[in-house]
Amino acid sequence: MELTIEHLSKRYGRDLAVRDLSLRIAPGLLGLVGPNGAGKTSLMRMIATLLESTEGTIRWNGQDIRTHGQSLRQVLGYLPQDFGIYPEFTGRQFLRYLAAMKGLPSELLNRRVDEVLEIVNLGQEADRKLPTYSGGMKQRIGIAQALLNDPELLIVDEPTAGLDPAERVRFRTLLASQTRDRIIILSTHIISDVEAVANRLVILREGRVLSDTTPEALLARTAGSVWSVTVDQATAMQLQERSQVSTMVNQMNGISLRLVSSTRPHEAAVVVDPTLEEAYLLATSRQDIRV
Amino acid sequence: MNITALASTAQQTRTIERPRLLARVMAWELRRFLASRLFWFQALGLFGFLLLMTWALHAPDQMSAGVSVNGGGGGEPLTGFIAGTSAGGLLHTLPTVLVVLVLLLPFITADGVTRDLNRRTHELLMTTALPTWVYVWGRYLAGLVMSLGLALLLLLSTLGMGWLLHFTVADYPAPEISTVLLLWVGIVLSATVLVSGFGFALSTLLPRLSTLVKTVIMVAWLVGGLVVPLGLGGTAPATWYVNWDPTSGVTALGLLPAYSMSLNPSITTEAQFQQFILSIENKMPPLAGWFAPHLLLGGASLLLVLLASLAFKRSHKTLG
Repeated sequence: MELTIEHLSKRYGRDLAVRDLSLRIAPGLLGLVGPNGAGKTSLMRMIATLLESTEGTIRWNGQDIRTHGQSLRQVLGYLPQDFGIYPEFTGRQFLRYLAAMKGLPSELLNRRVDEVLEIVNLGQEADRKLPTYSGGMKQRIGIAQALLNDPELLIVDEPTAGLDPAERVRFRTLLASQTRDRIIILSTHIISDVEAVANRLVILREGRVLSDTTPEALLARTAGSVWSVTVDQATAMQLQERSQVSTMVNQMNGISLRLVSSTRPHEAAVVVDPTLEEAYLLATSRQDIRV
Repeated sequence: MNITALASTAQQTRTIERPRLLARVMAWELRRFLASRLFWFQALGLFGFLLLMTWALHAPDQMSAGVSVNGGGGGEPLTGFIAGTSAGGLLHTLPTVLVVLVLLLPFITADGVTRDLNRRTHELLMTTALPTWVYVWGRYLAGLVMSLGLALLLLLSTLGMGWLLHFTVADYPAPEISTVLLLWVGIVLSATVLVSGFGFALSTLLPRLSTLVKTVIMVAWLVGGLVVPLGLGGTAPATWYVNWDPTSGVTALGLLPAYSMSLNPSITTEAQFQQFILSIENKMPPLAGWFAPHLLLGGASLLLVLLASLAFKRSHKTLG
């Protein structure tokens, strides 16, 4: 089970959304992060056979998906960033409908729908009409439909956008529980979403792979580059202009800052352990990192 | 959220059940239609409106004739009417009633595929292993079945109201089922298939213009079915137009001369007069010329759907 991307490019008019991108992806959860416009959605939609590439190839188990798209779709689960529902249907009907579209054998269909409803913990609400679902429930129905065919390749695009913190944690845990024997590509710009679950992290910027690493390696590389300091208002403003500030908290004795910088930003600054978000900030502020 | 390991149905759930996929797509699309209350309200409203129209047009052509008594003058003028559900009456009324049906059909069929684009359910479906042709034809056939159901309501309203009028209005003839069926097939069924196929194919090929497609169909039908026949006045339409007019407005005008009456001088009573009208109005209309072209037009729309299914692309060049 392998997804291979070779020299992939995507051009919209004069703009290159994805530039000569190459990746080999094996089973596990790959976190795809990057700022808005980095090319994440374009890349995921090309893998999901929804978008034509301008150059390069995507191979699933050695087969080019342009000519063998059907064999990929047979094992693909896809949760788009923003998907629609059929308001006439209940959650259960919606899943049965999509299971039928995925060609699940009739004798398995109902059983499988019950299974995925249990996985996403929507069994109790399954017979409610979809328009009555909350945002979190709708996302869970989305992941349930993506799991219907027990996919070998699961692509989820910004699944936690719009969810409250508790729902986000639940969603992450759910994804983490599904990593065995499949490739999961999780695209997000919320770094904490991938921190807990991804065993590989790909940072995209301007359509290129800026960093292909693991969360641990990225953190290790960032050690010594995150600083903490408490200063007055004016100094805080000066530091903010010179360095990347990851947190800024008003306290009784001044303003407490965490700064991402390869050099000591202030004489009173002390080195602290980086978070993955700070590691990401440092990586995206550099030009040529590749592990 | 309950984190449960997947049951070991992996290989089975990845097995695509191909042979019945088209039937399943159709069945689920129909189920989706039927789950919508709006659809039932529309169908019920249409049936009620068609019944009302059939009742309102039950005597579309009033006739009167002055007769002589014993060869002299002074006889009472005789009056009679063409029954709206007779063959002659249907040629008067059916193109008008058909306009009502056709105004509804694009909303049933044209959005079979574009609805998914507008609702953003498109990506969920296009990333399944559902073959493209199955998706397009399944959506089309489901829409066609719904359209034929509405066309059937038109037939039922004609026959139902015809029988009701027969039992409640003096001298109103019972509808001749074979004649009504024949006109329904030639005028209504062919138009239903044509509009369904045309609207679906164009909207699928030009999804961003689906509202325009619907508008063009409705306006074109109003012009062809109502405005052009009125504009012709008493002039005889060209034969090719009579035969190939998809709205049947001009077709009906071309067929009506076959129902013209020259009064037999032996008729002296209103009962005889109505009997005379009855013998003319329920004649089977001549089929030569127009019937096959109308069916061909319906069939041609299937070719358009075929074209749309071949041209349909599940992947795009832009994010859309």
